[in-house]
Amino acid sequence: MTAVRCVDLCKTYRQGDQDVKALDHVSIDIAEGGFVCLSAPSGGGKTTLLNAIGGLDKPDRGEVYIAGQRIDNLGKGELAELRLSRIGFVFQAFNLIPVLSARENVEFVMQVQGVAATERRIRSTEILEEVGLAGLEDRRPAQMSGGQQQRVAVARAIVSRPALVLADEPTANLDSKTSDGLMGLFAELNRHHKTTFIIATHDQRVMGYAKRLIRMLDGRIVDDIEQHAS
Amino acid sequence: MNIVLRLAWRNIWRQPRRTCLTTGAMVFSNVLLIFMISLQFAMYRLMIDNSLQAFTGHMQIQAPGYIEDKKMRQTVPDIVPLASALREQLETDTIAARATAFVLASSEDRSYGIALFGVEPQFEAQVSSIPGLIGQGRFLHSGDAPEVVIGSVLARNLRVGLGDELTLLGSGKDGSFAAAVVEIVGIFESGIVDIDRNVAELPLRLFQDIFYMDGSGHEVVVNAPELGEAHELQRRVESLLGTDQDLVVHDWDALQPGLKQAIQADMSSAFFMYAILVILVAFSVLNTQLMSVLERTREFGIVMALGLTPGRMGRLVILETAIMGVMGIVFGALAGGILTSWFSVHGFSIPGMAEMAANFNLPARMHPRVTGVTLFLGPIVVFLFTLLAALYPALRLHWLRPVEAMRAV
Amino acid sequence: MRTLAVLALLARRNLWRNHRRTIIMLGAISVGVWAMIFMTALTRGMVNEMIKDGISALPGHVQVHHPAYRDDPNINNLLPASDSDITQTFEGAGFKAWASRIKVPAVIMSERESRGVTLLGIDPARERELSFVSYDDVEGRFLKDAEDSGVVIGKKLADTLDTGVGKRIVLMSQDPDNDIADRGFRVVGVFHANMESFEETYVFAGKATLQKMLRVGDRVTEIVVLGDDYRDVEPVYKKVRDRVNDDVEVSRWFELNTYLGAMLKVMDGFVLIWVIVIFLALSFGLVNTLVMAVFERVREIGLMLALGMKPVNILGQIIIESMLLLIIGLAIGDLLAWATIVPLQSGIDISAVAKGMEMMGVSSILYPQLRLEDVVLANVIVLVLGFLASLSPAWRASRYAPIEAITKVY
Repeated sequence: MTAVRCVDLCKTYRQGDQDVKALDHVSIDIAEGGFVCLSAPSGGGKTTLLNAIGGLDKPDRGEVYIAGQRIDNLGKGELAELRLSRIGFVFQAFNLIPVLSARENVEFVMQVQGVAATERRIRSTEILEEVGLAGLEDRRPAQMSGGQQQRVAVARAIVSRPALVLADEPTANLDSKTSDGLMGLFAELNRHHKTTFIIATHDQRVMGYAKRLIRMLDGRIVDDIEQHAS
Repeated sequence: MNIVLRLAWRNIWRQPRRTCLTTGAMVFSNVLLIFMISLQFAMYRLMIDNSLQAFTGHMQIQAPGYIEDKKMRQTVPDIVPLASALREQLETDTIAARATAFVLASSEDRSYGIALFGVEPQFEAQVSSIPGLIGQGRFLHSGDAPEVVIGSVLARNLRVGLGDELTLLGSGKDGSFAAAVVEIVGIFESGIVDIDRNVAELPLRLFQDIFYMDGSGHEVVVNAPELGEAHELQRRVESLLGTDQDLVVHDWDALQPGLKQAIQADMSSAFFMYAILVILVAFSVLNTQLMSVLERTREFGIVMALGLTPGRMGRLVILETAIMGVMGIVFGALAGGILTSWFSVHGFSIPGMAEMAANFNLPARMHPRVTGVTLFLGPIVVFLFTLLAALYPALRLHWLRPVEAMRAV
Repeated sequence: MRTLAVLALLARRNLWRNHRRTIIMLGAISVGVWAMIFMTALTRGMVNEMIKDGISALPGHVQVHHPAYRDDPNINNLLPASDSDITQTFEGAGFKAWASRIKVPAVIMSERESRGVTLLGIDPARERELSFVSYDDVEGRFLKDAEDSGVVIGKKLADTLDTGVGKRIVLMSQDPDNDIADRGFRVVGVFHANMESFEETYVFAGKATLQKMLRVGDRVTEIVVLGDDYRDVEPVYKKVRDRVNDDVEVSRWFELNTYLGAMLKVMDGFVLIWVIVIFLALSFGLVNTLVMAVFERVREIGLMLALGMKPVNILGQIIIESMLLLIIGLAIGDLLAWATIVPLQSGIDISAVAKGMEMMGVSSILYPQLRLEDVVLANVIVLVLGFLASLSPAWRASRYAPIEAITKVY
């Protein structure tokens, strides 16, 4: 079954006095349990594609399906609901709500979903341990390193067991050792929970982890290869 | 435009909404202050004028102690010659002599206790509004004809009209019994109930005969052309009287102590309200400028590293505040001036105000009056407090460390 | 409900994030709320004293007169019923206090001076609770009974007349046939009042003595009745109305003294306007603070939207933050007002402007009056208007598109 299907997506931005084609007739299918890297130079359209898949942004034309459901024509409320229950996000930076502790950040989504307090507690403890942050539950974002912050973001993205996790340059602000740790975590979660991962990056090392590598240039897919994880 | 001024101007428009809100707070309080102060000053002026014009005048020459006790025997001797001498020496007509007694006035079927004034018929109109307020009949002729003018309420209560006779009973200067019968020739209506109910006037010479005054009276009323010139005139009157005569000159403030105190009491409560308003605006400015400094920490760090002193940057912050303050004054004075001018022409009234206003001799419709003072007094105070509020954010820059500041987000 | 808990938590934490701004805003709100309540309490106190003094001079909350008497306070306009009939009707009817009396204008003469006064013929036993004169605080003594042949006059009047306790004065008025009715009295007491005008105006004599002097037999000019509370005059008014015939006029205190009645109404309006004006002055700062708070947090708001929080929840969060700020400010302001008013409740001496205050009808000591209704009014207005003022920044925050908010660069 396909986790994500994009059909003929187009999106044009105006930048200064120029039109930039961020998506130029893009169509892809991503199977459930996929571990996909979107790679492109900056401005290549990978973030736009990711945002369109996550319902954060609407394409000018084309269709987006998540687990068979068309989402590009949904309203704000329905999209919010969809993101809350089915999609996890990890951004490049500013991932966390600064006034909440690591645990509270992780519990935030569950609380909005209406999960009971005890269950939230159990799951947040479990997930923070899984991402290697046991003992740091009560720290605020400002008191953690960049790698730790990204791990909290990952923990939050997967805590409600979404079928799909979208990560936009998750390692951009991390050193190589921390990046490896984070990617290892992604790969493990992918194996373990069959969660579909789509990771936008231009980091060669990150691409090495992917089972499928999609290269984009000027809004078009130029290369789409299956590869075996190293 | 000078570069610093241009920098300050651009800085305040980096956050247009914030600047608008802060300036809006200033404009709001400035408009309010202009309206209220214009109204207050107009009311005070009217209160003074209306209260003084009936009887008190700008100043009075009296025997010492009369102001307190108002006793019949505390007199000014040879009062008519004194008044006429003063008129001659000061080259003005706005001087008139009076005498006062409390009597029982009886008509056919009613008797009331009233205040009876003996006045100089040909000069009273120069110092009092009463002669001009005769509704029926006429004012007194000069001389000593047995005639009287009375208030409209008194006429109604005594059930008398023009041509009816009134019997007056009281005691003379020496304490002996005094009585007279006089004819009503005029009825006045001042609109001030206390006066219309309680007052009657007859010729001074007649009064002196009835009450055995022996040429004396109780007060010489002196009016200046303008209230503002009263003090100057009072000095001249005092020097003319000299020290040999046992007489004193009281200004309106001493004659009507309640008036000034009522104004003072009203002013102090108004002052409290204005102060609160100004403080709230100052808080608003403090908040805005502090935010503006904090979010520019990095920027300030950079220019500091370039060699600018905290003092100069502080002056920039003050200048930014001053620009907002000036906009507050300009828009406030404009809006406040227009609003207040409109009301000064058309007037306004609040339900229930008529009864209250009457208590202070004020009309039921209020007309504020815009002058330079009322237009700029409030806004300038607001402006000064605004600058004061900007002092803390400006001084904060002094403990900014360039390296740390540059790292700040 | 759960969402509300998260929102409240976020609001609370966010409020303290920029503690300087929050403290300044709290300062402004507290000062504003304090000023609202303090000023209201002073005004209420002033009006209350004014009305109490005014009522004590009337006296009573309800009075009964001949229909023509109020316009023409003459001895001819007597109440039609005899005093003994009145006593029979009113005695034991459960009024807090009541009295029948004679009140006529008169001239008082000492050896040297004369003055116009209001002459009151009273039964001292009945008027103890009604009168502004404290019987025990009288130089000499107060009247013994309705047959007392002496008079009690005010200090100020005694001074102007050059008279005092033990001296003789003459009172002149008219009888129903308009013959001069005069009689010599001995001054048995000199009273003090907190208003000079009372001391100048009122002269007390025995009711029976005056009835004889004015030749009116067993008749009076007015009945005065005191109720429990001047604000709730209707029950007393009805009760009095039921006990008299239609040929007399029954008036409530605010009809007898329209200045006082107007004062009470105008003051209610003043309190409301004052509270709203202060709020408006505050609202600029409040909206500014919220706009700033939203502006700084654009990215976070975008993140929360991206994570699936609904726009309405963002709106809620900002409004809760604003309400929290207002509630804390209100609490401090209320407390401050309470702390400053309570020590002043024993009275503020404003005798420096006593004459001016007397012109307004107030004695020279001001008792601030902290009324629950006023505090509630101020608090409710601040909360309701504060809610409305926060809607705009909150709505704006909830309208952010997540993608733009996240990528927004400062």
